[in-house]
Amino acid sequence: MSETRALTLADVCRSFGPVQVLHDISLTLRPGEVHALIGENGAGKSTAMKIMSGYLEPTKGQVKLDDAPVRFASSQEAEAQGVVLIHQEFNLADQLSVEQNIFLGHEKRRGLFLDKAWMQAETRRLLARLNCKVSPDARVRDISNADKQMVEIAKALSRRAQVLIMDEPTAVLTEREAEVLFEQVERLKAEGVAILFTSHKLDEVKRISDRITVLRDGHVVAQGMTAEFNEDQMAQAMVGRDVSSLYPVRSVGVGDDAALEVRGLNVPGYAHDISFTLRRGEILGISGLIGSGRTEAMEGLTGLRAAQGDVRINGRPVSLRSPQQAQAAGLCYLTEDRKGRGLLLQKGMRENLTLQALPEFTNWLIDHKAEDAALTRAIADFDIRAPTREVLVGNLSGGNQQKLLIAKIMLTDPDIVIIDEPTRGIDIGTKQQIYEFIHALSAAGKSIIVVSSEMQEVIGLADRVLVMRLGTIAGEVSGDDMTEDKIVRLAMGLGATRQEAI
Amino acid sequence: MKFTTITAAALAATLALPALAQDTKVIGVSIPAATHGWAGGMNFHAQQAVNRLEEVYPQLDFVLATASDPAKQVNDIEDMLATRNISALVVLPFESEPLTSPVKAVADSGAWVTVVDRGLAIPGIEDLYVAGDNPGFGKVSGEYMASAMPDGGDIVVFRGIPTTIDNERVEGFQSAIEGSGINILAMEHGNWNRDDSFTVMQDFLSKYDKIDAVWASDDDMAIGVLAAIEQSGRDDIKFVLGGAGMKEMVAKVRDGDPMIPADVTYPPSMIATAIEMTAVGMTSTAPVSGTFTIGSVLITQENAADFYYEDSPF
Amino acid sequence: MTATETRPSRPARGVNLKVLGPILALVVLVIVGAALNGNFLSAANITNVLSRSAFIGIIAVGMTFVITGGGLDLSVGSMAAFIAGLMILVMNAMLPVMGPGWPLVFVGMLTAMVAGTLAGFVNGFLITTMRIEAFIVTLGTMGIYRSLVTWLADGGTLSLDFGMRSVIRPIYFDGILGISWPIIVFALVAISGELVMRRAAFGRHAAAVGSNDQVARYSSVNVNRVRMLTYVFLGILVGVATIMYVPRLGSASPSTGVLWELEAIAAVIIGGTMLKGGFGRVWGTVIGVLILSLIDNILNLTDGVSPYLNGAIQGVIIILAVILQRDKKAES
Repeated sequence: MSETRALTLADVCRSFGPVQVLHDISLTLRPGEVHALIGENGAGKSTAMKIMSGYLEPTKGQVKLDDAPVRFASSQEAEAQGVVLIHQEFNLADQLSVEQNIFLGHEKRRGLFLDKAWMQAETRRLLARLNCKVSPDARVRDISNADKQMVEIAKALSRRAQVLIMDEPTAVLTEREAEVLFEQVERLKAEGVAILFTSHKLDEVKRISDRITVLRDGHVVAQGMTAEFNEDQMAQAMVGRDVSSLYPVRSVGVGDDAALEVRGLNVPGYAHDISFTLRRGEILGISGLIGSGRTEAMEGLTGLRAAQGDVRINGRPVSLRSPQQAQAAGLCYLTEDRKGRGLLLQKGMRENLTLQALPEFTNWLIDHKAEDAALTRAIADFDIRAPTREVLVGNLSGGNQQKLLIAKIMLTDPDIVIIDEPTRGIDIGTKQQIYEFIHALSAAGKSIIVVSSEMQEVIGLADRVLVMRLGTIAGEVSGDDMTEDKIVRLAMGLGATRQEAI
Repeated sequence: MKFTTITAAALAATLALPALAQDTKVIGVSIPAATHGWAGGMNFHAQQAVNRLEEVYPQLDFVLATASDPAKQVNDIEDMLATRNISALVVLPFESEPLTSPVKAVADSGAWVTVVDRGLAIPGIEDLYVAGDNPGFGKVSGEYMASAMPDGGDIVVFRGIPTTIDNERVEGFQSAIEGSGINILAMEHGNWNRDDSFTVMQDFLSKYDKIDAVWASDDDMAIGVLAAIEQSGRDDIKFVLGGAGMKEMVAKVRDGDPMIPADVTYPPSMIATAIEMTAVGMTSTAPVSGTFTIGSVLITQENAADFYYEDSPF
Repeated sequence: MTATETRPSRPARGVNLKVLGPILALVVLVIVGAALNGNFLSAANITNVLSRSAFIGIIAVGMTFVITGGGLDLSVGSMAAFIAGLMILVMNAMLPVMGPGWPLVFVGMLTAMVAGTLAGFVNGFLITTMRIEAFIVTLGTMGIYRSLVTWLADGGTLSLDFGMRSVIRPIYFDGILGISWPIIVFALVAISGELVMRRAAFGRHAAAVGSNDQVARYSSVNVNRVRMLTYVFLGILVGVATIMYVPRLGSASPSTGVLWELEAIAAVIIGGTMLKGGFGRVWGTVIGVLILSLIDNILNLTDGVSPYLNGAIQGVIIILAVILQRDKKAES
């Protein structure tokens, strides 16, 4: 790319009604530099990115391109100037092909018709440049998250992006997929693109960014070259307190009797011959690459997918063909997809909280008073921070949504809880709280399975870790063996001479 | 092989026997579906006529198609022409305009065309036109109203589905009551439908404190009107005049119901007449072309028995 | 995070048109009606409008649940015609055995309720168990029931035996304390519907299923059962509406109930229920039904508007009622 551009925010403020969410933000994205914007949920990162990319206008202050003040009336105008935002939730049409998505709204025409051949060739060229092997004709719904991310980037490149803003690009990627992304980021950087990204994974920030801006409560609290920070310093700047001890100390022992015994669980197409035992009060981690069948195995176990196998709870054989049966047996699954499967975003907190345990609140009619009391309790117990009790759940931050989701599941008073990706897309302060909740549950005698892509998380939380690979349990690690290295080797296939396709 | 030959020959013999002298001719009949009472009666008479004529004329074959809208009727006619090789078409057009060119295509192919009730937009396409007399229907109704109300009075008028037929009837009616002292308080569409006319009559009764008589213009609508009057308990309405000759209504006239002193025919059996005349035209040299108007007749207690058909659904 | 998170909640000032929109439209219609015709507010006219609203109203209450649950039912008008025809046929057939009287009326009622339940079950089964689009299933059954009633009536009209008519007539025309039965039944159905929607687990579950069926499933809600029940309830209510309808004119024909489905759906949407599901309110539906009936009534009571334009005026008012309650905050 021949042209390069620098984007600057100069003393930008932004208010929503009476609430000011950004205070005098100044930062510059320079060509050929990767800038990391970090901060807790609610610190103002999204707002800052939306102002950069024309989705919002600043209340005060200026956006500058190459030192000249600009006003983007819309995101389209920003794109025309080479400033592109890639949203965390992919902005792709699931039913269209990769090629159709890349050129959506910018289709190349020849006369009355679309120049299909040119667009195909261009798509191939863009994907090749990103080292992405997905076919231009593949439907977006059928490709992996990592490929979707690449398609988003290819789409940005096709718009001649000189300033690329990425909102948590690695949140839904496995470490290996993230690795591929970083290679491409390096390449774009070398081509002179100015890049900004946000992430909650501080090791990533440390690795790939050149410069860091830390936001807290809408203020820039730290800014400088990445080399000047270590991860603890970043976290401390974000949270405003010491968070070096992220994982609570295990204070209670694990019981001896088995709470859950699974023998030969098969989930057709996803997992087979899954056998394990979960002891009372234990926290069992399940690790593995995305696509290794972790989530599907757990969904099969809890009746959300067709599955066969022997399951015993407290020694008694049970048949769990539906989530209702699982719940009745005291087993609950907390989904990894809190927006798509966990919460009704268009409803309030009360309706969401009691949805799963509604019979408890119903005696012919729903007892609204009891529901309100439950919400008050949940807000206190799980430290849910909402502007009002009536707020739509979709307007809560990810961390607060996750807390509400945990509160909702706990309302059914399960003995065994399976939590899938407990802290995906959540800031470090809230993470710490959620880890504390999980420990408290275990201390209260609940048996817990934690499924996570973050190895640090399972290691920090669990008493024992099962590693899944290609739909089976590849191994188990516990005690001093619980190291990232051991888990990765199991997840990738010990002694494998080639890398497994994911 | 041998077996099939014999069977085929036997079959051919059986089938061809009555038609040895001449080829079988196919007559297509295309009519609107039975969506209201009158159309139901018309369907009944069409089916009856087809059944009867197929026995009388073995050399004739009938294809009967009912359409729920004009577009489907166009398709039906095109299919008949393309796949059934019809020698004659009897059509009661849903609406004049959209049916004109497909029927003209049939006529251009050399087939005989009989149009029933509703005329086509271009005159002269059809060989035979069996017409109901819509202006006449209005005129007979109006004349009866005028004679039944020699001192004039206030009436409300129910119209059907907005169509040419409806307009012709109302115009005929209006010119017949001119100068009789009858005053039309209001006209509203009851869509030849009992439910709609019930509702409209309820509202008329709320709106006007005194109504002397009702021209319901259709027997289905008259039923709705009667129910609304009965509910209101009002006794200012002296009578209701329907139309078409529904058998329940004819029975009331025959039995001397004071609310239904008369009815005006618009016989759904005109379709049977048309099919029969077409069949005669196809099988003989008798001249049947031209226009054949079936006039509307006033039914009163004296002649009601002649217009009561026990088997008809209408 | 999202920017909206830090926003204050909906300000308390100003009127909430989302709630008041349909009520305002109804009030305006009543004022217009009263101004145009002195008899508009007479007891007789009010009784007429309310009782004739009852058929669509009872059906629309059921439709509110179906739409809230993310479904749609286009078959209700045809279903009503078919059930009416069946009810008449059964009563006529049993007349020689049982004689005219209330036992026979109860047989007719039972027929309607059973037929309605079964019809709702068929729709629900095809939609939930067989996983066919609700639009397609009910478009299909709509045609099937319409054809069946035409066939039963032999193209004409099915009429209840004359002796039976005077026995059954009071169900539509009589009542208690001057309030006619259809109004009483409509009110009971509406009140229990509102209660179920707001305060019963079923209403909450229907809204959850319509809002996001995955979330509902992951929350241990039996999604298929909830969906199925919305259709069965609607079928039962169609049966109830038919029980009110048949006594009025004592007949059923292929033109019975034509377009009832669209009127019911329109009433539901005017009332503020979301067409894509997830949120429903029964009281809004009742207002929507009354708005639709009043428009017709007012147009009949006034001169000066060509009856050809009735449909246009209805259309404008429907669209206005929906615009009035649109969330102004809706972002692009």
